[in-house]
Order: sequence, then structure tokens, then C-alpha cells
Amino acid sequence: MRLSTNRAAVRAKRRRSGSTAMVVGMLGPSLVLIALFVVGPVGYAVWLSLTNKTLIGFGAQTPKFIGLDNYRQLLSSGEFLHSLSLTGQFIFFSAIVGQFILGMLAALLLTKSTVRAKGLFGSAILLPMVVPEVVASLAWASMLAPDRLGTVNRGLEAVGVTPMAWLQDHPMSSLIVVNTWRGIAFAMIMFQAAIEGISDDLIEAARIDGAGFWQLFRHITLPLIRGPVFLFLLLTTITTASVFGLIYFLTRGGPGGQTQVASIYIYEHSFAFFQLGLGSAASVIMLLIVLVLGLTYVRLAKVEV
Amino acid sequence: MMARRQSLAVLVAVLTAAGSLVACTDGGGGSKKATGPVTLTLVEYQKPRADAVEKLLPEFEAAMAKQGREVKVKLIRDILPDDQFKTKITQQYNAGEAPDVADYGAPFVPGFAGAGYLLDLKPYLEKWADWESFYPDIRDQIVQPDGKIYALPHEANTQNLFYRKDVLDRLGVSTTQPTSWPELVSRLKEITGKTGQPAIVLPAGKSWGGGTFGEGFLNVMLGTGSTLYNTDSRKWVIESSGLTQTFELYDELTKDKLLPVQALLNPEPWQPTKYKAFPAGTLPVAAQGTWGWRYDWGPAGSAPIPGLQSKVATWDYPSSDGKPYSVSSVAFSYEVTAQTEHPDEAVELAKWLSSGKAMAEQLVAVGAAAPRTGIDSVAPYSSQPKLIETGKQLSASRSFPPRPGQDQIAQAVAAATEGILTGKMDGAAAAKAFASNAKELLGPDQVETGS
Repeated sequence: MRLSTNRAAVRAKRRRSGSTAMVVGMLGPSLVLIALFVVGPVGYAVWLSLTNKTLIGFGAQTPKFIGLDNYRQLLSSGEFLHSLSLTGQFIFFSAIVGQFILGMLAALLLTKSTVRAKGLFGSAILLPMVVPEVVASLAWASMLAPDRLGTVNRGLEAVGVTPMAWLQDHPMSSLIVVNTWRGIAFAMIMFQAAIEGISDDLIEAARIDGAGFWQLFRHITLPLIRGPVFLFLLLTTITTASVFGLIYFLTRGGPGGQTQVASIYIYEHSFAFFQLGLGSAASVIMLLIVLVLGLTYVRLAKVEV
Repeated sequence: MMARRQSLAVLVAVLTAAGSLVACTDGGGGSKKATGPVTLTLVEYQKPRADAVEKLLPEFEAAMAKQGREVKVKLIRDILPDDQFKTKITQQYNAGEAPDVADYGAPFVPGFAGAGYLLDLKPYLEKWADWESFYPDIRDQIVQPDGKIYALPHEANTQNLFYRKDVLDRLGVSTTQPTSWPELVSRLKEITGKTGQPAIVLPAGKSWGGGTFGEGFLNVMLGTGSTLYNTDSRKWVIESSGLTQTFELYDELTKDKLLPVQALLNPEPWQPTKYKAFPAGTLPVAAQGTWGWRYDWGPAGSAPIPGLQSKVATWDYPSSDGKPYSVSSVAFSYEVTAQTEHPDEAVELAKWLSSGKAMAEQLVAVGAAAPRTGIDSVAPYSSQPKLIETGKQLSASRSFPPRPGQDQIAQAVAAATEGILTGKMDGAAAAKAFASNAKELLGPDQVETGS
């Protein structure tokens, strides 16, 4: 009896060590890559943020450890706090409101069996996502050009609206529109896949009980796709917080700092003024903010990602 | 367990996004072994300069071959705006991957020299007979505070207020030299009163980059009688009556709608102003340098003005002492990277390009004055009377040599003038913001206050 117990214990131990080796073997390469290309650079950025490292001037040769000075400077800088506020506006209006609402509408339309030319409609919405950022920016710079040069102004002029310099007069609103346009496709794909996963029986049963479109959406569809919705919000918040090319190309953070979101602020300080320490500290602050937002979404959604 | 896994997943996703923002910089310097014939790399980032130099390089290689040295030069044409080029080459220097020789403006030099990126050319220049031919002012301007020389100037320019003579004549506005800013401002108001449009472009705001300081603010400031840099204490003077006067002038020009505010807040403010409105005659006065004659408005320039010589003329900057002045400066210069494996050949290339026909060709290509004697009679420069005249004015002009910390001062000026353009600050508030910002950027031990 004792002998058989010992054998079972040895077998269990072997199984455990075998499974540990397998886990290490399977996860090891990924962990090494993540450590090298994700954790490493971020760790280096955190270290830089604690120094006064610059790329030009005497400071470049003799960077010093300055503790939390960069963080103190940033958190008391009106310009940086303003850039965080603009980043919040940009994320909220373009990603959370614009992309979410329009993406959801597109997804609902595409899941309707009565809608025709779905392929054409879907392709048109997908197009902004596959167009490279620079090409998209160039197209919008042309459309939003001032006076009669811009396509938007020409269209508005035809209906009696005075042409305006969109990127000068309404820079943030223009960027929000452009980023919304860019992101609808991603939202649509995620929502469409989730909606198509809802059982037809449920929808049918609700209809038989007299539910209208809004009631169906509010009480059946939305609760059942809650997971994908929060996953979308998480991903779009992260990606929108780091949007750079679009804004740099269209407004460069101007005019008068009206579109100087955090990514532009970080770029300017790191690569135009070469204050790497300060720029890194700003990056780390952004990292923490996005981390907190991400965790909040996950908690709210109670989804597994 | 689930919560930990979720947190880990979010952390990885966020770290990936953040990594893309911060993954940068600070590569180690690589070393290459020099074997056999020498191949140098030379970077040019402005098309007219690259075109001119490209034609000259075979002559340099032939000249070296005559001396029994096999030197090839690979030209890197990296056509970019000033700010983007600076970003790029700074990272190349920092990573130890910069070309052997680079050609850029003197204001870049103090920052790069301070960082240890550039080779000290002084030992080479002291042995070069031609060095004595460079104007003393030019030689003085490029000596850095450590007494070393990191740049070999091959161009000089003067900056003035360029105006459309044809337009002002048509409007009936006087074209005589204004001696004071109030006189000029009243003339600008007259122009705006008649056209209903802004009358002058002075670089201002952040979008113009270093030009806001070097092509506008500094030029005005030099006429106030105040000092911006104390050469004895080697500190920047961040509060003075001259600084306040200069910011107040920008404020006045903005409030009176004499500056094209909206255009200045554009991502590329020179496009709607110097490249469109000035050539069209709708913005008839512009702060501009010698390069305007060819690089901007010449027949092969960015925005050609037909009949340029008859339509455009210049005023000197008005001064508080009633003595108008032009501003001279070292324009582009050749720099050799400190990490080059071929310092002798690299310096030889810089010297050759800064002599005789090679220099003359480049000067004419961009519209700059010779920073030395012995070029006036060399074709094609000899057929450019405006440039030769500019060269003669160099010693009579006011100048401000680039100093360490100028990047930070330029940054603070850009932010303060942008505050004026956007209506957030008046002149006095901008002066105060400038002082505070400059102190923060440079550190309290690099600044002082003056009168």
C-alpha cells in the first residue's frame, strides 16, 4: 500500500516537473522578446526620466540623476497639464464617442438582413483603416485646406456656407473628425463580429414580446456584447493616446498649442528640444494614466483579455 | 487569479504602446576599420546646396588623386526642413552614425559642440594659409566658449527688411529708410489701411522653429541697445528693457493687425507668407536674409518673383539710437564629426569646398555672401553684384554669434511670441514668460538679469 502511494507521488512529481518545463519552453521565447522589446525600453525610459539627459549642449555629455525633478516640473507645468487635458478631449470625443457611435451604427446596419450592398458599404468604411496614416493625413490636409482650395470648403460654398480655415479656426474639432473617420472600421469589425454571435432566437423572442429597435439594442444586444465593447474602448483609448503622425502632419500641435496633445508634447521635448529626461518623464506619466484607464475598463467590463 | 491575469494583459498592451513612444535614442557608437582607399560621407539637406556640391565632388576627388590620395566622397542627399534635419542628425550624432562631414547653419553648432559631437578644427585651420583670408568678424563668431573651432564657414549673409518697391510705389507709401520703429509702424499701418491686409511678416511663434529667434526677434532686439548675452559672465540676460521693448513691438504689430497672425500659426508659416503673399505683393514687407535673392525668390527659387531686382529692395532694421543696421551672420558651415575615422581627409574636403571656385559655385547656388576675401573675382560669384555688395557690408553690420544655450533661448522666445500671437499675453507678460521659461530651460546658473 505504502509502495503504491510512493510510486503515485513520484509519477505526480514527474508530471509536475514535465509540465513546468513545457510551460517554460512555451512561454520562454515570448517572455524574452517582451523583456527585450517592451519591458527593457520602458525600464530605460523610466531611468531616463530620473535624469536630466539631453542630446545637445553640455548636458549631453554629463547627464545627472535628478530624482523626481522632471516629474515635479511637469506636474507644475501649465503646458503639460494642458496637453493632458487636450489628450483627454481627443480620446473622449474621437474614440469613445465618435468611433464608438458610428462604428456601432455601421455594425448594426451591416448585420441587418434587409440592407443591400453590404460589401460596398463595408469596404467604404474599411478603407480609412487600410490607408497609411501619412496618406490619410495628406488627403485630409487637402480636404480641409483654407479658402476655396479645400474640398470641404468647396462643398460648403455650394450650399452658401462661407469657406473657412478648418485647421486654424477649428483645429481640435477637425482632428477629432479625422480620427473618428480613421477608427470607425475597427469599431465596426469588433461590434459586427460580436452582434453576429448573438442567438437569433433571443432576438426573435424579444420581438415576439413586442420589443422595438431601441429596446432590443438597449436590453438585448448591448448587454450581450458588453465584453467586446469594453475591449474596444480599452484598445482605442490606448491607440488614440499615442496618435502622433496624423496630428503632427495636420497641425503640429498648433495653432497656439490648441492641438498639442501629450504625444506631440513628448515628441517636441524629446526630439525638437532634445530634453530626453523630461520627455521620458512625460511618457511615463502617460503610461501610468493609460494603465489606470485600461484597468478601469477591465474592471468595469469584467472581461477576460 | 483572473484579476492578476487581466492586469498583466493590460500592462503588456499599455507597455507596448508606451514603448513605441519612448523607444529611442542612445545607441552605442560603432567603429569601422579604415582600410584601403578612403570613402567619406557628406550630408546636404537643402536641394540647391546638394545640387551644387554634387557637381563639385568629382573635382575634389580628382584634386586628391593628383596628390596621390584616393579619396571618394559619397553625397547623402537628405532633403528635409531645418527642424527635421536637426532632429535626424542629432540622433545620428548621438548614435555614432553621423556622416563624416555635414553642412548646416551656424546656430546648430554650439549645441552639437557642447555635446562633444564635433571635431575641433582649430589645429587644422591654424595650419591652413587660407584661414587668414576669412573676415576677422566671421572667424570670431565661430569660436566657441572653450576656445575651439568646430565649424568652417562657407557662407555669410546679412538680414534686412525686404519690401515690395513696386507695391509700395503703387500704394503711395514712402520707401525711404525708416530710422525708428514708430516711423516704420506708422508706414505699415498706412499699408494695411490701404490694402486691408497685414503688412509685414516677422517670424514669430513656435511653428517657425529657430527662425523666430534668428530671423526676427534677434534682429529687432539688436537695435534696442540691450545685451542678450553677457560675454564676461557667459550668461544669458533674460530680463532687460530691450527684451521688453521687443516683445511689446510684436504685441503692437499683432494688435494692430499688421502681422499675418493666422499664417504665422500655420504648421509651415513661411509658405503662406514668404512663398505666397510676398511674391503676390499682398504682404509687402518681410524680414529676410540674403538668401531671399536666390533661394526663395530667385528664378530657380522656391517662389520666384519675376523682375525680382526691380520689384524688391531692402531697408535696414530701424534702431532706438536712430542708426539703422543690417544683421550679419555666419550662414552654413562644414562640420566634421568627432567620430570620423578619416579626420584629415574630412577636413581636407571641408577646406576644399570653402575655397575658390567650389565656394563661388555654392554661394551663387543659394544666394549667400562670401565669408572671406579672394572670391569676389571668381566666377560665377563675380557676376553677382548684390552678393558682392552684401559681402562688403558684413563688417559694418551688427551680429550675434551663436552661443551655448541658444536653442533654449530660441525655444523660450518662440513660446512667448506665440503667446502674443494667440492673444494670451501682452508684451510685458510675454517678456515675463520668456524670462521664466528661459530660466527653467537653461537653469538658474546660466542666466542673469540686465538693464
